[in-house]
Amino acid sequence: MALISSKDQQMLRDLFSERLQGDVTITYFTQRESILTVPGQECQFCKDTRELLEEVTGLSNKLYLRVQDFVRDAQAAEQLGVERIPAFVLAGQARGQVRYFGIPSGYEFSSLIEDLLDVSIGRTRLSDQTREALGGLEQDLHIQVFVTPT
Amino acid sequence: MESSRITADVVEVSEFPELAQRYRIYGVPKTVINEHVSFEGALPEPAFLQQVLRAVDGGSTGSDVKET
Repeated sequence: MALISSKDQQMLRDLFSERLQGDVTITYFTQRESILTVPGQECQFCKDTRELLEEVTGLSNKLYLRVQDFVRDAQAAEQLGVERIPAFVLAGQARGQVRYFGIPSGYEFSSLIEDLLDVSIGRTRLSDQTREALGGLEQDLHIQVFVTPT
Repeated sequence: MESSRITADVVEVSEFPELAQRYRIYGVPKTVINEHVSFEGALPEPAFLQQVLRAVDGGSTGSDVKET
C-alpha cells in the first residue's frame, strides 16, 4: 500500500508540475534490505524511507532518486558527510547542501516538499536582507535542526 | 541554499538517540549551529539570522544561547 494517499499524490503532482523548475536529485543512503539483521546494525526506517522517496520522486519527471548502499558506497557517503542512515541529500540549483537524517514523516514531510521546490528553483523565500547576509558568509556553517515525528 | 558554505541538516532525533545525548536534546525543534550555538524552538527569521551570525563570530553566548 502506498505511503502517500492518492489524494495527496495528485495534489503533489499538481504542485510539482506548477512549481518545480530545475531537476532535483535525491541521493539516498540505505543498507541492504534483508530479513536477517545484524544486532546493532538494524535500520528501522530504511525501507519506509526508500518507499517514501520512491513515491515522491515518482510524482514528477524533474525528481530523481539515486539509491546508494551505506557500506558498499562508503566513499560517496563520506564525501557527502553522511555518517548514519537513513540519510539523503538534495542536489539541484541551490547552493550549499540540504540533508535529511531519519524518515521525513509528519511535519517534516512538508519541509521536504518545500525544500524540493526551493532546491529546484535555486533560491529560498527568505528576505533580501537575510539572503544577502548568508550569501556573504566567508566561513563554513553547519546548521542542524533536531526534530521528532509529529 | 543561499550559500555554498552552508550545510543544513534535518535530523529525526528519535532514530538517533546518540545524537540526542550528544547535543542534549530535551525539547524540539532544537537548532545547533557549528556545534557551539544552540537554541530551542522556532525563531522569527531576523532572530534566526542573528544566531547564525553569532555562530560565525565565534559563538558568544546570550541568555537564549547555550554552549553545547
